[in-house]
Formats: sequence, C-alpha cells, structure tokens
Amino acid sequence: MYRKMSLAWRMSLLLLLGAGCILGAVAGFNYVSSRKLLERELRDEARQTSRSIACQVESVAKALEQTAKAAAYGIRRFAPGTEGIFGLLEESLRNNPEVFGMAAALEHPSWYGVTGVPYVQRQEETVLFKDLMKEGEAFRVSDWYSLPKYAEHSLWTDPYFDDLGGQALMTTYSVPIFSGEAEHKSFQGVVTADMSLEWFSAILEDISLDEGGYAFILAKNGRFISHREENWILRETIFSIAEEYGLPELRELGRRMIRGEEGFIFMKASVMGAEGWVSYVPIPAVGWSLGVLFPQKALVASVSALTRSQGSIGIIGFALLLGVILLVTRSITRPLVQLEHATRKLAEGELEAPLPHLLGDDEVARLGQSFEVMRQQLLVQIDILCATSAAKERIESELHIAQSIQMSLIPKTFPPFPEHEEFDLYALLEPAREVGGDFYDFFMADEEHICLIVGDVSGKGVPAALFMAVTRTFTKILTKNSLDPGDILFKLNNELAQDNESCMFVTIFCAIVHLPSGKCRYASGGHNPPFYIPREGMMTMLPQVKGSLAGAMEDIEFEEGAFTFRPGDTLFLYTDGVTEAMNNEQELFGEERTALALSKLKGRKALELIRELRKVLGDFAEGAEQSDDITMMAFTYGVDRKE
Amino acid sequence: MIYRFLRRFPISGGSKIFLAFLGCLFFLEGAFAFTPLFVLPQWSPQSQFAGIYVAYEKGFYLRHLLDVTILRGGPDADPWEYLRKGKADLVTQFLTSALEARDKGLPVVLLGQVVQKSSLMVVGRKDRGIESPEDLSGRPLSLWESSFRLGFDLLFEKRNLVPRIYPQYYSVNLFIRGVVDACVAMYYNEYHMLYQAGFNFDELSGFLLENYGFGFPEDGVYSTESFYRENPEACQAFVEATLEGWIYAREHPEEALDIVMKYVNRAHVPTNRGHMRWMLEKILPCILPASGDAWIPGVLSREEYRKTGEALMEGKLMGTFPLYEDFVPFKEYQNVP
Repeated sequence: MYRKMSLAWRMSLLLLLGAGCILGAVAGFNYVSSRKLLERELRDEARQTSRSIACQVESVAKALEQTAKAAAYGIRRFAPGTEGIFGLLEESLRNNPEVFGMAAALEHPSWYGVTGVPYVQRQEETVLFKDLMKEGEAFRVSDWYSLPKYAEHSLWTDPYFDDLGGQALMTTYSVPIFSGEAEHKSFQGVVTADMSLEWFSAILEDISLDEGGYAFILAKNGRFISHREENWILRETIFSIAEEYGLPELRELGRRMIRGEEGFIFMKASVMGAEGWVSYVPIPAVGWSLGVLFPQKALVASVSALTRSQGSIGIIGFALLLGVILLVTRSITRPLVQLEHATRKLAEGELEAPLPHLLGDDEVARLGQSFEVMRQQLLVQIDILCATSAAKERIESELHIAQSIQMSLIPKTFPPFPEHEEFDLYALLEPAREVGGDFYDFFMADEEHICLIVGDVSGKGVPAALFMAVTRTFTKILTKNSLDPGDILFKLNNELAQDNESCMFVTIFCAIVHLPSGKCRYASGGHNPPFYIPREGMMTMLPQVKGSLAGAMEDIEFEEGAFTFRPGDTLFLYTDGVTEAMNNEQELFGEERTALALSKLKGRKALELIRELRKVLGDFAEGAEQSDDITMMAFTYGVDRKE
Repeated sequence: MIYRFLRRFPISGGSKIFLAFLGCLFFLEGAFAFTPLFVLPQWSPQSQFAGIYVAYEKGFYLRHLLDVTILRGGPDADPWEYLRKGKADLVTQFLTSALEARDKGLPVVLLGQVVQKSSLMVVGRKDRGIESPEDLSGRPLSLWESSFRLGFDLLFEKRNLVPRIYPQYYSVNLFIRGVVDACVAMYYNEYHMLYQAGFNFDELSGFLLENYGFGFPEDGVYSTESFYRENPEACQAFVEATLEGWIYAREHPEEALDIVMKYVNRAHVPTNRGHMRWMLEKILPCILPASGDAWIPGVLSREEYRKTGEALMEGKLMGTFPLYEDFVPFKEYQNVP
C-alpha cells in the first residue's frame, strides 16, 4: 500500500507524521504544564477565596461576640433587673441582625433582682420574650451554661437544637460573668448570643463558588457548624463521616482542620459531594475551621476546554499543513514525474522524443540536463555503433572471402591421384579464426615426378590469401619448366620480389620425388625442416639447406638437398602452426613433442598419422584458441594404399 | 386503640381494617388479652436499647401478648420518678441506681439483668501525661453526678487518687475543649465520641472499671413490686421478648441499626449511624454471652449482686441491701448461682 503511493503522498505522510509527533509532544507538554499552572492558580485562588470567606465568617462571628460581651458587661456593671435585662437584650437583638436570640442566665438571679432566665428571640420582624426558667433548671447542665462556667472563658458551643428557647438549630456564644478577681472570682452566670445556623448557612451559600463547590465549617470537635448536607450538622462530625465511609484521608483532613492548620489537599472521595481539592483555613478568633471544596470537574473542565480548542486548532492546522505539504511536494515532484514519463519513452527506444525543459538549477533540473546529455550521447553512440558494426561486417565478409580463397586453392581430394598407387599422401589445413597464409600443394610435375609444397605467407587476411594464390600459381607454372627445387624457388623468389610493394614474403618448402627411384630433391625458403620418418631406423629432421624467405629480395640462391626414399619411409611436412601451437599456460608444443608424437605414429597410414597428430595437438591445447593456421602433410613412399 | 395497635403490623391497610374488626370481636369475647405496658428506657434513643426497639418493631412484644408503649427517655426523664408516679410500668436502669432507689424507699424489683458487664471507664489524654490511673491525682477530671459515680469513687478511694473534679453532664466537651485532662466515659459511647471528635485511640488512655474490680452490672429492667405482683407473666414476657430482640439485633446488625436510627431521628438525637454501630457492637457482648462466658442472658448472678451490694455499702451509699430473693422476684431465678 505504502510502497504503491506516489512520492508526493509518501513525503506528505512522512512529514505529517513527523510534524504530528512533534506537535503531539508539544500539545502533551502543554496540557500537563497548563494543568499544573491551572492547579497552581486554583490553589492560590482557593487560598484567597477561603481566606476571604473565613474573614467574612469571622466578621459575622466577631460582631455577634461583641454583642454578647457588651450585654454581659452591661448586666454585670449595672445589674438592671429583669425589665432592664429584657430591654438590653432586645436592644442588642434589634441592632445586630446576626444575632438570633440572647439570654442572660444567672447563677443566683435573685442577687441581681432578676426572676427567671430572660431570653429574647428574633421571630421575623418581631421579638419574642421568654423565661427559660419555666422549663426548670435544665439549662444549668447545658453546654452553653456549664462550659464557660468551668472553662472560665467565653466560647462557642457545638451546634445544637435548642428546644429550651429558640426551637432552632443554632450555635451559641456564651460569655461567663465572674465577680471578684483571680483566685477569688466567683461565677455569676452567662450571657449568650445565639446564631441561627440556617441563617448562617444562607450567608455561606451566597458566596459564589465554582459549580459543585461549597464551603463548610468545622467546630473544635469536628462537628459541622455549616455544611451543605444539613442533616450532618447536628449528628455527624467529619470523623464520623470518615469512619462511616472508610476514608482515613478525610479523618486526617479533619484533624488538621481542628488543629487550626491551613492547607490544600486533594480529596478523592466523593462523599464530600465531588472529587476535588479542599482548601482549609482556620478562623482563629472563633476557633473554627473553614473548608472549601473546589471540584476537580471545574478545573478539568477548563483544562479540557483549553485542550479541546487546542485540539481543534491542531486538526485544522494539520489539514492545512497536509494541503501545503502536498502542494509543495507536488511542485517538487512534478518535473520528476515529467522526467519519468520522458525517460520511459527513452527506455522504450524513442530517443528522438525530446525531454521536458526544466527550469531552474536544482537537482531535478540537473538530472533532466544529464538525461538530455545522455540522450544526445546515446544518439551519437548509436550512430558510431552502426558505423562500426557495418565496418565489422565488411571485415568479416572479407575474412570469409579470404578463407574461401585459401581453402579453394588447396587440393582437398584424397587420395589425389588414384592412378598412382606407389605412395600414400594426406594433407590437412586448419585455418585459425583469422585467416592466415598457410598453404600446401602437391601435383604431378610429369609422369614420374610428384611435387610437394608447404608454405606460410607472412600477414593475414585477404592480402595473405591473395599472395598465397600468387605463390601457388607461380610455383605451378615454374614447375612445368624445371624439376630442380632450387631453381624453382630461385625463380619464384624473383617473381615474388618483383614489384612487391606490400613487402610480403613466404616461407616455403618444396620437394620433388622421382617416384620410380624414390630419389627426392628439395629446397627450403626459410621453412621449418620436415621430419623424415624411415620405415626402419631413427627418425630425423631433413638437413637444413641454405635458402631465405621467398619474396623478400631478388636473386637469392636456394641450395638443394637430396635423399632417397626406401619403401615405407615417410616425409612429414608442416608449418609453424604445429610447433607453435599453445596451451592455456602459453606453452609451445615444440619440435620435441612433435618428434615424440610422430615416432609413436611410425608405420601408420598418412591419413591416420595426420589425424592422430591433430588429436595430440588438440589435447595439448586444452581448448585454448588456435592462434595460427595448422598445416600438415604426410607422404609415404612405396606402399600400397590398399593394404 | 386496636387500630393504632394493629398499625404496627407490616400489612396492607385493607387487611388492617379487617384485622381490627376481628380484634374487636376477640376483645368483646375477652379471649385475646394484650397487657398494656409503658416502658421507659433510661436515656435518649440509642443502640444501648436496640433490643427493646427491635423487639417492638419486629412484633416480638405482640407475639408475647404485650401492648408495649416505649416512652422517650432522656435527661429530663428520671426512671424512678416515672415508676413512682406511675408514668411508666417498666424502666431500665443501672443495678447500683436501682439498689439506691430501693434503699430510699422505692420498692423496685429486678425483672431481668440485660447488661451484665460494665462499660464504665476513665479516659485520659496521653499528651497531658495521663498514662495510668495514678496520673489522675491532682488533675482536672470531669465526672458524672449520681449513682454512676460509685465505681469511680471506689477506684479513686482504693488507690488514694484525688483528681480535681468537674461536673460532667451530657457531653464530654470539657475534655474535648481541653478544660479537663480526663473524663469518665462509657466504652460503647463517649469513648467513641472522642474518636469521632478527632482523637485517635492511641492518643487516649482508657481504664475500664471492670478491669480494676469496680465494674458492676448495668442496665436491668425494673418495675415496682406491686406491678410485678399484678402482672408477673407480662413482666417475664417483656424480658424474654427483649432478649429475643437483642438476639435478632446480633443476627441482623444493619437492620437493627436501621431501627435504632429511626428512633434516633424521631427523637432528634444528635448522633450518627457510625456511632450507633460502634455502640451496638460493643454492648452486644455485655448482653449475650460468648461461648466461654458462664452467665445466662437476662439473669443476675448472686455473686455479682452481692459484690455490687457490698460495694454500695462500702461506698456508704446505703447501710444494707435486700436479699436476692426479695430483689429478684422470679421463682425460676431463685436457684441461680
């Protein structure tokens, strides 16, 4: 799939993948860091928010405390009697909206000219007056009376449902009155101011927090002064909730809060309403602790919104990027595509088809130029090649002609003279791949004489073949007038040397055998001496006779040698193609090996001798290419061929 | 009255009317006699009385032909006062308190000893150096008034401890607010309230009176002698049904808690389910014996009775105490050890 894609797409995809990885990493880092940042901001904001709420709570509580303290001072200082106390309490209640009810409970009311326990309570716009003593002395064991008495200082009670006076959920600030000083002071009673928790919670609810967030207040013993869950207020403590729901971390939070610590903690449990951070600060003046829950949802929502918008921008960006990359890669690969089309035509052989003209000097343009150069060069090379092959063909045909000439000039019919049964003759010429100038000939000079000739023309090809033809013709003509080999070669040399502008020459061996007597005369023009293989006795090379290459210069004398054949004796003529045959190690066959091979073939018929020797030569060459013509001739005197 | 009574059966309205009709017939015939009983637990509704609420809610009292009305207890309802004035037929109270009341001329008899073991204890703050009872000397300690004090007074006297005593009423707030270094508590109640006020158990030292030899049997069911003489079967039936209630509560603690919480909520008692669970868990072993315990549920042993009586005399709270046979009227109990 991927490999089938075009270069432009692959490049775009790879670039996009790379860019995507980088952008993804950036986005991830961004998410984490912005979340951290937001968390830090939230923490700061939470601290600010909780401190400000704590301040508000404290100011409300402080105002109420002041009211109670002022009333206590008035009663202790002026002992105003029942009516006076009611008046004082009513006045305080009317002037301080945070106060729900007030009481003045004295240890010995009669000492102050008071009857009962005066209690005033707000009821909508009016004020109710009550005597708590009507319910008996039960008030004396209540927290609001006994705690300040024994603690000897003003304090806030736990939240409680007041069924004595207020018939409401409240917490009371209770100020003890003592007479006397230090060691001798004696408890005179308490003045209390009640705060309705319903009213107080309403104040807290007015404080705007994030969705799901809320504030709650703990008293010293972990009880809720205020909490969203109203039925927790009286019954539960933060510790009972922690116990019931198995949340040790909530218990730890509670302990920190009642110790008056300040902090910020993540609460996993959703028992608080929502998972989130609780920021807690003490409200030192009243000994309470404020907790504010900041739901994680709100934070996560803002981070998510940020991430979402970043994500969508990213996706749009990616789409645009893809488009741009495609455009760019297309513009880069367009000339490549054009080139590809053009080179395909080139490959198909349409060299004449022009290549597209590519602008600029970039790699692709240079590639195009190179292709153009290549195309031109190809055209030139093909022209040259055509010319060369034509020439070569011509040469080859010339060689062919030369070979034909060479082969057509030598006698190839064996036995050559069927009417003469007194000798056995066989000859072989194997031209090398390039035509050489070897030749052999034999003919009856007259009724009783046979002429044997072997030669090797210098050079190769048609000129050598023609020179050979000339040599052969001359030899044949000259032999008609003379039976002396020396004379024949003398005359041949003069004929060849005359007007020999191409300076060609020939080595030649000529022997004339008088068949009735077996007498043989011979002359050699620089040719390899033939081997004489007698029927009995040692094989020898014919003695060298003086004589030079024929055709080199005029008027050269050729010495004549002579011997007499005994019946069964064989004369072996050859050219240097035999002794100089080479094997793959560039080793020459040499005269010794020739002699050895011939001695082993003694007594064989001419045809067999020649063919066996050729075989020995072939074995020696081991398939190496034949470098020169191989010419061999064997003449055996006085045997009956038919034997 | 009959309809109100039948409302307690968990059956549909139509069937209730029909049953009410049937009930009327029986009443007219006098063949279906429920004994009305007004019962006052000695304190506000809590797990301490789970057996009574469970027996009531599960219909155990009705099965024993008892028409029980549970009165709301609390600080303003003194059981002996209720008995004396005839506002209640049966009440629950501590054994020591009952002996004192009898000594003061109220002829109460014990119908069943429900809570056999003492849960009274002294709790001290370790951070104020209270590690053993000896550390209490000279230290502020809040202490209940009334007959609850007996065991503590004896402990302090026997060990020559002289703490500075503050009165302790319904809360342990003097302790929580640090006014006192130690307070008295019930193991099943205030001790856990301190935990729910943020004290960890390892920050508190606790001394159970039981472990120092001053623990006395606690909640028992009482009536006046005259009421018992007139309604002996009903009295015995009440104790049996109540113990059945406790057994049921032990088998089905969460259901029992549901029932307790219903009463708690109705009475606006400022407590919570977690605390009630603790209370139920801790009081059950004091009521129903475990496999190794020798005592019989509901039955006061003569030994415990004698120990308590002698302690009261030693505490100079009374000069003498009645014979077991006079105090515990059931014939069946006369042979107990």
